[in-house]
Amino acid sequence: MTQQMRPSLDDPRVAIPAESTWYEPAPIPQTERQAEFLTLREGEMFVNMGPQHPSTHGVLRVIIKVNGEKVVDLDPVLGYLHRGVEKLCENADYHQAICYTDPLEYVASLFCEAAPVAAFEKLMDVEVPLRAQYIRVLTMELNRIASHTLFQGWMALDLGGITPILWAFIERDEIVDMLAALTGQKLLYNYYRIGGVNGDLNHEFMSRLGTWMSRAAAQIDSNLALINENEIFVRRTRGLGVLDAKTALKMGVTGPNLRASGVPYDLRRDRPYLVYPELEFDVPTRDEGDSLARYLVRMDEIKQSIRIIDQVLHEMPDGPVMAKLPRLLRPRPGRAFGAVEGPRGVYGTYAISDGTDQPFRMRIHDPSFVHLQLVGPLTKGNLIADTMAVMASLDPVMGGVDK
Amino acid sequence: MDRRLATLLQEKFGERLLTPVRQRYDESEIRVALADATDTLRTLHDDPTLRFEMLIDLCGVDTGEEMQVVYHLSSSTSGDWLRVIVPGLDRAAPRIASATFMWPGAEWMEREAYDMFGIIFEGNRDLRRIYMPDDYRSFPLRKDFYLADDASRSPAAGVRNMERAGTPANATAATVLRKSPGV
Repeated sequence: MTQQMRPSLDDPRVAIPAESTWYEPAPIPQTERQAEFLTLREGEMFVNMGPQHPSTHGVLRVIIKVNGEKVVDLDPVLGYLHRGVEKLCENADYHQAICYTDPLEYVASLFCEAAPVAAFEKLMDVEVPLRAQYIRVLTMELNRIASHTLFQGWMALDLGGITPILWAFIERDEIVDMLAALTGQKLLYNYYRIGGVNGDLNHEFMSRLGTWMSRAAAQIDSNLALINENEIFVRRTRGLGVLDAKTALKMGVTGPNLRASGVPYDLRRDRPYLVYPELEFDVPTRDEGDSLARYLVRMDEIKQSIRIIDQVLHEMPDGPVMAKLPRLLRPRPGRAFGAVEGPRGVYGTYAISDGTDQPFRMRIHDPSFVHLQLVGPLTKGNLIADTMAVMASLDPVMGGVDK
Repeated sequence: MDRRLATLLQEKFGERLLTPVRQRYDESEIRVALADATDTLRTLHDDPTLRFEMLIDLCGVDTGEEMQVVYHLSSSTSGDWLRVIVPGLDRAAPRIASATFMWPGAEWMEREAYDMFGIIFEGNRDLRRIYMPDDYRSFPLRKDFYLADDASRSPAAGVRNMERAGTPANATAATVLRKSPGV
């Protein structure tokens, strides 16, 4: 019996042609950059991640060009959640537009409301009552904590840890239930109104908040101890995806991602809105600019948020929570940009009024959209598994990216 | 409002500004011609007295008669905010120089403006659709793009019914098209 030769993978008869790595017709390059991306060199191949991948925090497809286990280049494909919110807002009146912006970032939807409301109030010269301003700060900071605790759980989950997300959800659910008692909704609150908020603080919210505040600091500290001292977590994130301050500014990065690169830029302090100038808080920064720094900056922000909530509860005055406004709002023709500092960066809304009751143009700026651009540059040369770590540390939410 | 910024911008750009510097609340606004856009952005970014290093937002605007590109800049050193409006892009073939030479992060925002308005950014090396599929032919945020089931814009139905009582029932799309004189 003659010995059978085992086929070699180098044999051209069994080699897999490059174009068959696409399970759909290979895309025709439309730009210089795409043509460069689609050209495979020796040893390279495409790996498709998503759109149904748990670590993409929504519905995102990333085409990764790999050489062995190393990422050579990647190309995110967006639009799976595109709803055309800007167009819908142009066809809705000013009150309706606010609830269209709500589901953009479903983990921090109060900020998505706050930005258009701020822009509309500038357009209409509305003065918000002081109590309503305090309530907005209080609810936004609670939402920031909920978003950051969820980030903490997600990031650990993307790195393979299951326990932290269960712990994170305890804190986050408590805040969500608290806000549900206040607003009637669990995630898409639709609580802010032009000129104030929809309803004063109620008893259930205040009692839940009081109970939570008495143990929040200790509970969050124990959550942090679970991860911050975990050797696997720290080793996998330290020095990974380093973003220096100069590149961060050029890439339009804002929020904790920018502060983790050593630029102390925070709208709450640098372009104050609502009652933030009267409150005392620090702007935590880190100089390293790696994934671990981006994580730690967010964890420091949770502590500052608790500090802000504490001050707000002590200083909140009595009074009305809504300004007196006509039901049909028709601002004069003009332009305004409203911006708030969210848990991911600057949420902005550029609203143009043409004198009717509908915005003529409403542009929504979402920080996740800008930050997602960085995944490519930051992961080049790293392992495929590190793509998820970098992406988790940038904390994009696809609902906001796709609008 | 920062009066100092207004005088500074006025003396730096002088006759290049199409309208005087406008200030309302904490926003300043300038308008520059299409030909001056690149130089203006470069000066705003590089000048040691201005230092607008951060591009917060870039977006397209369709006013019904022309296209505009609007930049929102912020200074991380002084905290000033500035809106730069570049009006006068031809609606049939809008073209403008890309801002990616200075802010590489503008790449996706320009792709979005291209996807939604059809504005061509010369110098952007990855200008293709970002949200809509590659074979999509329209530009959805243009004012002459109507939503198929748009009740509020139709003359006979929706929330604006009462106000639109005077609109003839057989109004064509062209007569309902909103044109804004103010923007």
